[in-house]
Amino acid sequence: MYPVLRKLQVSITQQAFVLNPALTVCRARPSVQHPVWCTDSVNERQYRSMPTHGIGRWKYLLPKRQSKEKKKKGRQMRPIVAATDTAYGTLNVMVSGYDMTLVEHYSQYIHNLCHRLGIKVSESYALPTKSTEVMLMQEVGTKMYVDAVLKTHERIVQLSSLNTTLCPVFMEVLLKTQPEGVQLSVNEHTEDQFKARFKARPELEGLIAQINH
Amino acid sequence: MAAPCRRMANRSLLQFFSHFSRTAVRNTGFREFSSNSVCRASLQTKTVTETATSPWTLVAAVCLQRLPVISADLHPLEQEFKEMMLQMELERSLVSDHELRVLEESERMSRKKADDYDSDEEGSQGNQEIMLAQDMEDAWEQKLKNFQLAPRVTADIDKDLTSAQRCLADSLFLLAEQQVGREKLWLLPQTQWQEGETLRQTAERALASLPGNTAAGFKATFLGNAPCGVYKYKLPKAVRTESTVGTKVFFFKAILSDSAPPTSPSLLWLKKNELQKYLKPAYSMKVDRFIINM
Repeated sequence: MYPVLRKLQVSITQQAFVLNPALTVCRARPSVQHPVWCTDSVNERQYRSMPTHGIGRWKYLLPKRQSKEKKKKGRQMRPIVAATDTAYGTLNVMVSGYDMTLVEHYSQYIHNLCHRLGIKVSESYALPTKSTEVMLMQEVGTKMYVDAVLKTHERIVQLSSLNTTLCPVFMEVLLKTQPEGVQLSVNEHTEDQFKARFKARPELEGLIAQINH
Repeated sequence: MAAPCRRMANRSLLQFFSHFSRTAVRNTGFREFSSNSVCRASLQTKTVTETATSPWTLVAAVCLQRLPVISADLHPLEQEFKEMMLQMELERSLVSDHELRVLEESERMSRKKADDYDSDEEGSQGNQEIMLAQDMEDAWEQKLKNFQLAPRVTADIDKDLTSAQRCLADSLFLLAEQQVGREKLWLLPQTQWQEGETLRQTAERALASLPGNTAAGFKATFLGNAPCGVYKYKLPKAVRTESTVGTKVFFFKAILSDSAPPTSPSLLWLKKNELQKYLKPAYSMKVDRFIINM
């Protein structure tokens, strides 16, 4: 702090001397009118000729990391882990319900629980929302009118491998903390489930059909 | 609300079973397996020579659980916080479509009632609603009043220990009175392990062989192939022989999937805090370790 102050005072007094030698009274003022925190001496970069230039650099000391290969993990399916004697393979824990806050919070809870228990989570995604219209018959007449629109939200947490010894504990905690209005289902991950997430491409299918015929 | 907990593929189970039955007979192999289970009793390292048959009789028991049907009542602090959050959310929320409609229509009604009402001034409103939003709200309120909610707590059923409908807000555990040695004890349903089957199959057999079981039996889903707890019982020195030193009971967890299981006077459905009254202290200590009360 002190060398900076002194530098300030020196520079200001020099200026004062150059501009107005009579105003030597100003010397006392700079420390009050220009307190250290008003100037941005903290963020001032050292000039390159200063011996302390680059004194805080450390990133150049770290080992060089390969730039992250851009993987489009959407297109390629992650390999499905096969079940072994002591662990289940790739499992999908699907949480679905009408209330989105509950469904999302529950799926986040499951994800955090897996982190705590040491279960590896390979993916965590949401399936598109399905809207269901509930139509009621009118009391008078035969026309149906829309009573309610229910939206079903689905979230999937994909576990890459689950230890058989950990499975009962994990399942019980899941069942005990399941909120009302939320359905839980655990099943194995198949390639068909993965393919079902993609949109159908009618032109491509048409072209393929043309080639085949 | 028992969640639809589907089982894993049978293929993996069979693989697992075959592995298990191979190692079940050998003493050390069995020990290794049980040491992997998450909730286990501390197995003392007895210096038992590796013989083909162990001096312990193996028994598998099933801890059948009925999950809570309704949510538990909120703590007063939780209740206050919930009310505060609802109030905050209400104050911060925007007006919904339905509420906008109600406001518009109430304004229109007030304008109609004014003396200087000119229907031409309304402008091109389009089709006027046949049903006003306010009428719809009234109809909904009427429907809600007509809906009968089932009672959350029924004192009579709660006192009946054999009914599975008691204490809907807690999880209940099945206890059976079984003959062990010379006396009748209250414990989790168990049977002895037989050659050639896995422990989990023994546990399923224990469930099926309960008294009061009709052809349907208890529809239960076992949570996994691994046992969740162990209880070791050494016979008193007088009864101990070369071949039988005691019994080891392995517990398996299962969830009840049907809502109306068969009842019988020798079967009880108890909460965790009530279990201590019926179980022996050493047994209850081991059982308490794997019964989660959340």
